[in-house]
Amino acid sequence: MKKTVVAISLTLILLWVLAPLCFAAEAEAAAKGSNVFYYAMAALAAGIGVGIGALGCGIGQGVATSKACEGIARNPGASGKITTSLIIGLAMVESLTIYALVVALIILFVNPFGKLLQ
Amino acid sequence: MEALHETLLMDAIVNPEKIPHNVSHAFLVCIILILVALVIRKSIRLVPKGTQNFVEVITEAILNLVEENIGHHWGKTLFPFICTIFMFILVGNCMGLIPGFTAPTANINTNAAMAVPVFLATHYYGIRVNGIKYINHFLGPVRSIFALPLMILMFVVEFVGHLARPLTLTVRLFGNMIAKHILLLVLAILAPWIIPTSILALGVLVSVVQAFVFTLLATLYLAGAVEEAH
Repeated sequence: MKKTVVAISLTLILLWVLAPLCFAAEAEAAAKGSNVFYYAMAALAAGIGVGIGALGCGIGQGVATSKACEGIARNPGASGKITTSLIIGLAMVESLTIYALVVALIILFVNPFGKLLQ
Repeated sequence: MEALHETLLMDAIVNPEKIPHNVSHAFLVCIILILVALVIRKSIRLVPKGTQNFVEVITEAILNLVEENIGHHWGKTLFPFICTIFMFILVGNCMGLIPGFTAPTANINTNAAMAVPVFLATHYYGIRVNGIKYINHFLGPVRSIFALPLMILMFVVEFVGHLARPLTLTVRLFGNMIAKHILLLVLAILAPWIIPTSILALGVLVSVVQAFVFTLLATLYLAGAVEEAH
């Protein structure tokens, strides 16, 4: 019950904090007649996107490393194979965050909606 | 990004407007690999020493990987393809660490040029080894006329998964290389000399590991395609 109340109030506070940002950027764009709104939203999206991607990657790689350390502690003789499997697993998980980074780079630098806005 | 412009050593030899940087540096990687092979061939020994030893270590490691995963029948046939990919990516990635050169694998076109042949090779060798039975790979575990909806669903899912393979291979290598590059540039502007050197050390690890991961995944995809239904 308490967790639900905390979660709902946090969501509402986040909404109240972020809403003026959106309206301010849109009003500024309407006043200037350019695509500042796109760049404002793009910066926000890139930052939050890569942040959430790194969050998942951190949790996943932390769990993988902890299990690998446990395995080596149980059986030090197999540490070579365990380390190889660990490195391969970490590279796999890391590539998911790299996808988030590539999407952020596309949004920031390639400007996929550029032709539509101009 | 337009303000950050690098001058490279290759600009003196080849015009970057006509031939892009990734192409000229990819040619440079090929020339390096061929030169090393020719130098070793001149004084080849039964008990290797020096450069021959180093190259033999790499070749044996990839040969073990390929034979372990693909098996004896097709391992020897597919080994040159996979080992060439590994050596090209390794030398290409490490070239990006040297100031004055850029990594050819930091451009998405070079990576796609390596991932698409791997994709095409899996299907070619799958059909060559299994014939029409290759479609069994896509249909899932249950084979009976009553499970036809399941087989159709599995086919769609496997199709999308197969299409995702060259995409992920390309983007994984490209993203790692470009992230290292951008991080180095930004940190060099913010806090020069010491912190970018630590990122360079991390970059060495990432370069070697990503070359190995690309090769390992290519091996596993090919192994899945040529496995005989024993």
